[in-house]
Amino acid sequence: MKADSSAKPGRIDTILANDKAVSLIVVLLGLFLGTILVALVGKNPAGMYSAMLQTLTGFDIDRGTWNSRYIGEWLTASIPLILCGLSFGFASRTGLFNIGAEGQYIAGLTAAQFVALYFPPIPVLHWVVALLAAALAGAFWGGLVGWLKAKFEVSEVVSTILLNYIAFFLSRWASMQIPGANTYKTPNFPQTATLSSPFLESLTNGSRLNLGLWVAIICCVIYWFIIEKTKLGFELRATGLNKDAARCSGIKVTSRITISMIFAGMFAGLAGAVVALGSFGYGRVLGGLDNYGFNGIAAALVGNNTAGGTFVAGLLFGMLASAQPLMQSRQIPKEITWIISGLVVVLISLRAGARLFLDWRAKKIARASEDALPGENAQPREDRNG
Amino acid sequence: MKRVSLAILVVLSILAVSCGNKQGSAKSGQPTSRLLTDATGIDDKSFNAAAWRGILSFYGDTWEKPAQKGKLYDVVTAQTQDMYVPNLKQASDEKYDLIIVTGFTFQDALTEVAPQYPKQNYMIVDVEGIGQPNIMEATFSEHEGSYLVGVAAALKAKADNIQNPKFGFIGGVPSAVITKFEMGWVQGIRSVYPNASLVDYYANDWGKPELAKAQAKNWYDSGVYAIFSAAGGTGGGTINQAKEYRAQGKNVWAIGVDSDQYEDGIYAEGKSAVLTSMLKRVESATQYALQKVKDKSFKGETVVFDTKSDGVGFSDKNAELGQDIVKQVNDIKAKIVAGEIKVIPTYAAAKEAGLAPDNLQALDD
Repeated sequence: MKADSSAKPGRIDTILANDKAVSLIVVLLGLFLGTILVALVGKNPAGMYSAMLQTLTGFDIDRGTWNSRYIGEWLTASIPLILCGLSFGFASRTGLFNIGAEGQYIAGLTAAQFVALYFPPIPVLHWVVALLAAALAGAFWGGLVGWLKAKFEVSEVVSTILLNYIAFFLSRWASMQIPGANTYKTPNFPQTATLSSPFLESLTNGSRLNLGLWVAIICCVIYWFIIEKTKLGFELRATGLNKDAARCSGIKVTSRITISMIFAGMFAGLAGAVVALGSFGYGRVLGGLDNYGFNGIAAALVGNNTAGGTFVAGLLFGMLASAQPLMQSRQIPKEITWIISGLVVVLISLRAGARLFLDWRAKKIARASEDALPGENAQPREDRNG
Repeated sequence: MKRVSLAILVVLSILAVSCGNKQGSAKSGQPTSRLLTDATGIDDKSFNAAAWRGILSFYGDTWEKPAQKGKLYDVVTAQTQDMYVPNLKQASDEKYDLIIVTGFTFQDALTEVAPQYPKQNYMIVDVEGIGQPNIMEATFSEHEGSYLVGVAAALKAKADNIQNPKFGFIGGVPSAVITKFEMGWVQGIRSVYPNASLVDYYANDWGKPELAKAQAKNWYDSGVYAIFSAAGGTGGGTINQAKEYRAQGKNVWAIGVDSDQYEDGIYAEGKSAVLTSMLKRVESATQYALQKVKDKSFKGETVVFDTKSDGVGFSDKNAELGQDIVKQVNDIKAKIVAGEIKVIPTYAAAKEAGLAPDNLQALDD
């Protein structure tokens, strides 16, 4: 009988129907559970929050100092996550599950390093060409997956995972062929290849914040424009929503799949270039995965595969990554940031649960109004509410 | 809105005043320190672990119970390589009396950051030549320690009456540092067997034990008596092969490196295939630097940890080495300390002195 009174469309329905609100709830829930975990292992959760505050504002409560460099480092850490998030999101809108952002990231990183080392050191042109090469390399690595999927129906989940390893070992082998390279690094880049920006550096007290920031913002705009404003974007989304319906309405589904993966790879490839040319003065011979590609998946999931959402979610995960050493400095176990990220990703599946709940509510409301029709003195039907 | 931000500002500044300025060093007289590591952290059973042990013992703590961690010393692990520079800067902002990093992977980051914080003391292990006035560079006389294990292996062959024993060396990636290991080993053996036949092999990788295992099998089959590996994780393959063969009753040995690898070589109750290990005590380097900071005598310099300062040595844990050999090797150790025996660290000089054969692949770059 209580249920009858609440069986009207209420505030809860509005909140749960809103993907943004669900994402926000999930993030808060993740932080909340993380806080409890920190308290459970006997540490002071306040340290976790003061570390996050320092990342976001540069203000160190414990020492009473302010340093804008921490803001710059936070943004720097967020850039590759945003770009890899766009990579996953773009494919996702076309119904593809791109776990290959890591491999596309490595392809871009390697291409950027080669251009940085071998292209003549012409100011501006040097890094522009390096970025273009990285975008192309990433697009090729992603496009390969799309082509295999479109042509031979190879599952993109399997092919992307395998291509990640191929990219990794290929990059290692290729980088080690560079004269002067050892098992760890290549010679230094010329200054013209780096993305460093004296303006952004001075703004953030000498952080590594670089031109990659604009790359990320421009990519978000491109993403939004293609997906929301163009015919291509419409076709991509239609393919993602229902492949067969799209085919019947005359959309070339196979080519759309390849195009989608090309764009996805391009975004991830640019992420690789931004890390290679923004955070390092030399080429790296990769010793392990940087995992930006995988962590980007989380950014896209929380950001609901939209450009704006992924941008904000990338900033969130960048904040967690960047706060990690600050948390360690406050004796908070470093694992907590991974646990929070993991919790957020798991909890985001609540969105599916929320949909089921909404359907159930909608049915109940419909029934309740049916029951209400015969008149005010109709018997309440307890069995239905159980 | 204005009022809200004003209120936040007030709260923040109160917090800042109330909790700011805690300096551990002023109170206890002990210096504060931070260890920065790569993604493997202090559980790497190698470099980072050794540096951490040195810090713990300096403060009188143990691995299981780091009581003063967070007050006087702590560790921050970087998840990705692009965090090295920010983590160094952060530690410098937080004003530790000493910041410790290990290995050449941190060299570029430290070279970039150290000049920006001229008053901050840093220490790096196994790197030399940065040359900043605020960086202490700790290096080791690996050739001296390797000489000792070379002597030990050769004396053991003699005690076992092996006719024409052969000796092998497995390196990781060729470099001047690894050459120091190889040259010490070669000179140690030749001081006992002036014409001993020597073979060497470089895996070009620090993490491929299967390569070392295949090479070791090949060599043991062709009559090599003992193999010394200075190859990181790759060297585990040598030990595994020696374990297999010793368990089958073959008289062959593996020689451990960096830390005492006796435990890794155990194949039966109280029996290990690791005859001895060349010890490189990274912990003594961190302890030394912390003591220098405490005494206020820290300066930017290259400190060499050699046999004399007990920075390198050999392990006598394996009972099969025998008291007699241990005593002889200790005598030689005393001679190195006294300067009566000089071990040559480079291949070119060792060849010139007629102490190393021409067929080796060591590089002196």
